[in-house]
Amino acid sequence: MLAELEQIKTDALSAIEAIADESALEEARVGFLGKKGRLTAASAGMRDVPREQKKDVGQKLNEVRTAITEALEEKGAGLTAVRDAAAFASIDPTLPARSLPKGGLHPLTHVLNEAVSVLRRMGFALAEGPEIETEWHCFDALNTPEDHPARNESDTFYFENGKLLRTHTSSVQIRTMEKEVPPVRIIAPGSAFRRDEIDATHLSAFHQLEGLYVDKNVSLADLKGTLEYFFREIFGSKTEVRFRPHFFPFTEPSFEVDLKLHATGKAAKWIEIAGCGIVDPAVFSEVSKQRGDAAYDPSEISGFAFGMGLDRLAMIMYGIPDLRLLIENDVRFLGQFS
Amino acid sequence: MNVSLKWLSDHVDFSEYSMSELDDLLTFTGIEVEGIQSLPDHVVVAEVLSSEGHPDADKLSVCQVDDGSGTPRQIVCGAKNYQVGDKVALALPGCVLDGGDGKTFEIKEGKLRGVESLGMMCAAAEIGLTDDADGLLILSPDLKPGTPLSEVYPAVFELEITPNRPDCLSHLGVARELAALAGKPLRGSAHHGNSKTPAREAKSDEIQISTESCPYYTARVIRGVKVGESPSWLKEKLESIGLRPINNVVDITNYVLMEMGHPLHAFDMARLDGGIHVRAAAAGEEFLALDGETYALTAEDMVIADGSRAVAIGGVMGGDDSGVTEATTDILIESAYFVPSAIRRTARRLNLHSDSSYRFERGADPHQVNGASDLAVQWILELAGGTAESEIVTCGGVPAPPVSVELDNDYVRSVIGAEITNEEISSILKSLGMEEGSGEWKMPSYRLDLPRAVDLVEEVARVYGLDKVPANQKSWFSAASKADVSFDFASKIQSHLSSLGFFEARNLKLISEAQLADDVATSHRGMSPVRLKNPLNDEQDYLRPGIVPGLLATAGRNVRFGNPDLRLFEMGRVFTATPKGGEVEHEHLALLMTGAKAPRSWASGKVNGKPENVDIHDLRAVLEAFCPAGLNLVPVDDDRMLCACSIEIGSGKKSAKLGLAGIVSPARARELDLEAPVMVAEINLKKLAAATNADLTYAELPKFPGSSRDVAMVVPADLAAGEVAAFLEAHEEPLLQSVELFDVFQDPSGEKLPADKKSLAYSITYRSPDRTLEAAEVENAHLKLLDSLKSGLHVDFR
Repeated sequence: MLAELEQIKTDALSAIEAIADESALEEARVGFLGKKGRLTAASAGMRDVPREQKKDVGQKLNEVRTAITEALEEKGAGLTAVRDAAAFASIDPTLPARSLPKGGLHPLTHVLNEAVSVLRRMGFALAEGPEIETEWHCFDALNTPEDHPARNESDTFYFENGKLLRTHTSSVQIRTMEKEVPPVRIIAPGSAFRRDEIDATHLSAFHQLEGLYVDKNVSLADLKGTLEYFFREIFGSKTEVRFRPHFFPFTEPSFEVDLKLHATGKAAKWIEIAGCGIVDPAVFSEVSKQRGDAAYDPSEISGFAFGMGLDRLAMIMYGIPDLRLLIENDVRFLGQFS
Repeated sequence: MNVSLKWLSDHVDFSEYSMSELDDLLTFTGIEVEGIQSLPDHVVVAEVLSSEGHPDADKLSVCQVDDGSGTPRQIVCGAKNYQVGDKVALALPGCVLDGGDGKTFEIKEGKLRGVESLGMMCAAAEIGLTDDADGLLILSPDLKPGTPLSEVYPAVFELEITPNRPDCLSHLGVARELAALAGKPLRGSAHHGNSKTPAREAKSDEIQISTESCPYYTARVIRGVKVGESPSWLKEKLESIGLRPINNVVDITNYVLMEMGHPLHAFDMARLDGGIHVRAAAAGEEFLALDGETYALTAEDMVIADGSRAVAIGGVMGGDDSGVTEATTDILIESAYFVPSAIRRTARRLNLHSDSSYRFERGADPHQVNGASDLAVQWILELAGGTAESEIVTCGGVPAPPVSVELDNDYVRSVIGAEITNEEISSILKSLGMEEGSGEWKMPSYRLDLPRAVDLVEEVARVYGLDKVPANQKSWFSAASKADVSFDFASKIQSHLSSLGFFEARNLKLISEAQLADDVATSHRGMSPVRLKNPLNDEQDYLRPGIVPGLLATAGRNVRFGNPDLRLFEMGRVFTATPKGGEVEHEHLALLMTGAKAPRSWASGKVNGKPENVDIHDLRAVLEAFCPAGLNLVPVDDDRMLCACSIEIGSGKKSAKLGLAGIVSPARARELDLEAPVMVAEINLKKLAAATNADLTYAELPKFPGSSRDVAMVVPADLAAGEVAAFLEAHEEPLLQSVELFDVFQDPSGEKLPADKKSLAYSITYRSPDRTLEAAEVENAHLKLLDSLKSGLHVDFR
């Protein structure tokens, strides 16, 4: 009996050793350990084993069963590993990616988002106004003389009802002051329109960012601190900023802001980037007339305003040479900013 | 305006300033330097020593010139306007000249028709001095051969003077400003305006004014002048700033204009018929100006007329047949003050802008009318001879005297935000020509732009400079405005869409009438598009009522650029007109998808070897990704698109209608070069925001397993899946948890299924929140559902 068991073990182990696939493994399991398997059949012979040998034969039986079971498991694990490896063997990880669709925001949106996020940290809230404006909001309230060239039909888009497409976002200053009382601290990004033929440096519709701060005792020092901080956040803390005297009808004193910037490989030069100034008291007077109250009494409050062209900012920040690229929306262009 | 450094130096000594320091000085005066012109290098003064005919070319001559080197230089020349002994401009080999159209050419030693030529003698236009291209530039005989021409005509600044500063539209004016900023004295007078000539009021047959556009007019007559060439100092002055010398009298009026900023006009007395009448033009009156053009005038224009006709458009341009010529002996010098708005109106309407109108429309100094006349007369007598009448004849009066402005220095300090001392303030204002009174300042007559205290603050700030002003940082907490909320909402959708593979486009908001037909926006049912009164062209004469038209044009352009697979979105303002004549502006979002689902690659899905195109179901997937739950596409009748669907959140009467989606008509798409199907959607952002519930609340996760049953039903081919979905949604069964359409089958051949039928297969899940369902309960619920489908929708089950 013991010899028979030993023989079964030897046969089983060599048979398992030779197995090459999982179905043969299952056959072997059934052939040795199944209901009609050899070991099962042999164990039925326990009945006839003399009593004093039962213990030894029983132990042998267990030993053989354990050995065959372990061999089967080991072989099984080996075969699974081979199958797993085979399943991934044909994969070439160096193939190009299975593409996810590529998308992204317009460069102007990037510039706008960056500017807005800096200004919001500085405590400015957003404001908006209509793009189809009245002449009063766009010009009169902003102290623009009646025969100012900007009011010309050759420079500004008009509608039959006398309204116009706002030529600057400064009209949002007026819209805001009509509704809100000081202190006011707003920024207004948006479209503006001028009757310009489209070329590399002109668009008939472009984007501006307007800012307005009205409170008691607002001075040029506040304006300077605000814009210097803003531009250094955008262009780097060491950026040189200069304020050049200029003229706008709705601010007095007025300045243009230049930054010293350099395009790659070129010497740094002053680049005009924004207009700003102390709100002209005439603007407050006009707003007060419209409101019919003293909330914007120019002898009590003062303010500063600034405005910049976002298209121009995008040109400078990304080195875009031609404004028309911004309205062409070629996806090869748009893809450079995602 | 062009300003010559040499001319400025007549008034202020800038010798220790470098060009870039002067540039900075001008910049901080508030005068923008647009460019600095200087003559090209290697152009020198040369004297023509001899000139002989070219052996092989009739039109050329061979000249020997003295270029200052001591050895004569041979130059072949085509011009005829010089004589031996003349001093001319010679470009030496190595000199680079502007050839026009942004091109340059270099002067080289070479042969012209076989004869050696070692340089080029130049016309004024060739070296960029003036626009005179006729013949050689003949220089002053006093110049030494070899002198670089850039010493004769030093650098010229191209300045941009802001419209509030007409007083700076002259050399004296700019010099005055620079002197104040640099703290330097002016040489001579700050002002030529103080006339010493006795004035006499005009008799009615001498000067008559019958228009409010001219408050003051003066005439001075000089008899017996000899009109001829100007001396070289005068010609050089005018040439250096780009003006072409004409004759001594005209050159002097131009000189006074550029020196003082006051335009004058000289008439030939022999060509005037009687006295001067300043009047409104007759409607329809035609006028031949000295630029050779005939202008049709209206009663809004002002003319200077004699007894029989108009001889000038007042303040704008003289006439063709009354000006000074070589034959002129007696002249009348006009010096006047015209109302700015009148000149501006005329110049603009006639599109006739002259150096004269430019200054009058910005505002000339009324107090230097007589002085300007004096200066011109003085120079004419000196350069052209003749005898001036002893009196200047005047008509009308000089408007309002210079203003005085009260100024509180504390106000100055509070606006600027810096501790500027009273002494500093006084010194700055005095340097600008103002006179201090008690608490007030008297303006010089040339500063018409300073009527208020705040205007003086600007003057102080400008001269003081912002460099010395501290940079304050102050801020506070700001509450989010409505605009903040919508900006953040839009930003979220923008980044969501860009992660979904969409590029953001930004199109012009102006579109053509033809593009209006592409509009699919639904915010403006019953309203009309907004049309411009004065469009630039008929490609941009309407404000967009929706965004899709622009996106379609962008898609077509991209296909032509070779980008056929597109996922685009755009957000922004759209415009419509209300029946009452008002306008409404909405914020919209539009999407466009066309071309392959994924770029052609080893991994992308293909149909017949080609990448699979996007379809309306891809668009729906995108809509579901960023819209709130419960999105439905409800087919609507709309002939602008195929498969037009209303985009709705929820169903039935309570649904929110956000916009429209569909497939662009293939015929229209092909017109735009779009061959693959084009899906578009346009959504009203405000409605989307309203439908998007910002208050998210937790719902308990299911604790007990659900049980699913599949059902395949055969329905008419034209029954929309949406109708079945709506039916299932309305089915009242508390255990019904979810319905999923997992198969749609149609067989056009009719073999497996009649061709007019389709099979829809749903997986239906039943679940109870508080127990595991018994098989019988599920079966029961499912049978009820099947019964209901059969009776309600008349479906068969497979």
